Amino acid sequence: METILTLSEVSWRHKVRDFSSWKPWAKRDGAGIYSINMEIKPGTILGLIGPNGAGKTTLMRAICGLYDCDGFNKSCETRRIEIGYMPEQVRWEGRITVSQALKSIAMMRNETINVEDLVQTVGLASKSDQMLDNLSQGMRQRLSLACALFGNPKLLVMDEPLNGLDPLAQRAFSNLLKNLAKKGVAIVISSHQVADLESLVDEIALLHQGQLLIEGSLTIVRKKLDLKEDSGIVEMICSATGIDPEEISLELSRDNMLPFKHIGGEEE
Amino acid sequence: MNAFSLGVQIMKERLTAGRMMVIWPLFAIIILFSTWGLTDENASVSTGYDIESAYDVMFLSTAFVIWSCTLGAVLVSFDGISRDRTSGVLEVKLSQPMERKKLAFSILFGHWGAIFLPFFVLQCISLAIMWFRIDEIPTLSNLFLFFLSSALLLMWWTVIQLLASSWANDIGLSISLGLGAWITFTLLWLIPTTLIAGLSGVGVDDLNSSEYVELAAIVDLFSPNGVYGHLLEMSLDDVDRGMSPLYISIAAILWSIIPIHLFTRRIERLQP
Repeated sequence: METILTLSEVSWRHKVRDFSSWKPWAKRDGAGIYSINMEIKPGTILGLIGPNGAGKTTLMRAICGLYDCDGFNKSCETRRIEIGYMPEQVRWEGRITVSQALKSIAMMRNETINVEDLVQTVGLASKSDQMLDNLSQGMRQRLSLACALFGNPKLLVMDEPLNGLDPLAQRAFSNLLKNLAKKGVAIVISSHQVADLESLVDEIALLHQGQLLIEGSLTIVRKKLDLKEDSGIVEMICSATGIDPEEISLELSRDNMLPFKHIGGEEE
Repeated sequence: MNAFSLGVQIMKERLTAGRMMVIWPLFAIIILFSTWGLTDENASVSTGYDIESAYDVMFLSTAFVIWSCTLGAVLVSFDGISRDRTSGVLEVKLSQPMERKKLAFSILFGHWGAIFLPFFVLQCISLAIMWFRIDEIPTLSNLFLFFLSSALLLMWWTVIQLLASSWANDIGLSISLGLGAWITFTLLWLIPTTLIAGLSGVGVDDLNSSEYVELAAIVDLFSPNGVYGHLLEMSLDDVDRGMSPLYISIAAILWSIIPIHLFTRRIERLQP
């Protein structure tokens, strides 16, 4: 099957302030993603899963061309044209209306966009004349979704899109994504709401400490990890990262408690 | 075309922002009242400068322009990028296919326009005040020079603040950097001038000595407000600080090119 995007050995390290240096501008390599290999196919919904700080957002930003890193079969510019990106929890604010905000973003694409149709699709038609300052978080999420849908993207990348949405909106959102996938749009989605994710995704990619540990359909991943057929995403994360499901606690979210499977790159 | 339209959109957004409720009255009081006062037949200034023409009124009122409008540029642009970065909107904007150079132009044009427009409208009203009070307005060439110089000054300050906003991770740091630059160039510029004068053997006990005035004129080329003053003085016959118009023009061009280049490069490399 033809791929929309191929990632081969994609790596990216964030530059973070180096407090050990006397120079205030000194930076060092921080966390990031290491040697990610992946193929994104049309009509597939790929779920990115992993603990906090695994590198999901970094990978998504790299895919969308926000980081200028090598390893993609398409340039940053092409990716920005073909990909619609919905970042996590955008706080739209200001004394401009929803439709004005959408028009501003539309001007950043060289396409004629029917804003009215778009607000209808995401359920913002009744709010299109409201000021951004007066929107609820759920409505702001819908606005971010509208921005991601500009210009009929071939690939949709969504970071925690279900956050802030009410249950009905979540269901409507899932239906919309399934319909888009049927039309051939590839979707990369990350969510901590694993129950919704399991029913939505065709494939998952499990990230941990910036590395892609395992990738494939839920059945294949279960088989690779020797898990039961009814095991869910939490069990998959536990199995791949070496956490005992009986001992899950917030303590485990500390980086030093998680095992680090060193594949490549400089260890933190 | 899209870059220009986006710039206009940003300008509209900025013009309707809450802070304009402060900037408009502040500008109105400073620009209109300074013109009203300086057109009074009994008006005299402490420097001993004679007010003989409408351009003299305009030139002297720039002392207030430097105070208010440059601060206005800082107030309009301090969150030009940092607010979008904090709210996550910057991620949405940077993921769009628009060329980063064009995006930089739009941001700059939008913010500059939001401060130049109130300035321009109020200056036009102040021209009407001049006409009403002294029955005279500056010549077209003087008006052109005044508006061009003021537009450049506001652009320099807008770029400086937008650069600070793009460097800063939060709005607090952004406004600190902007105000720091503003205080340095507007309030504290005398310190580096006298320091350099002292180091180069020019007496600092008499700030009106020709030696000191000539040195201050050179040091002023390194300040946006100083270059603005030089540009306006080019039309005045009775003011000569010994600075060649060529050097003034070069300084104005460099003050335009270097910060804009830095800002464009910053936007090209900007990450959320």
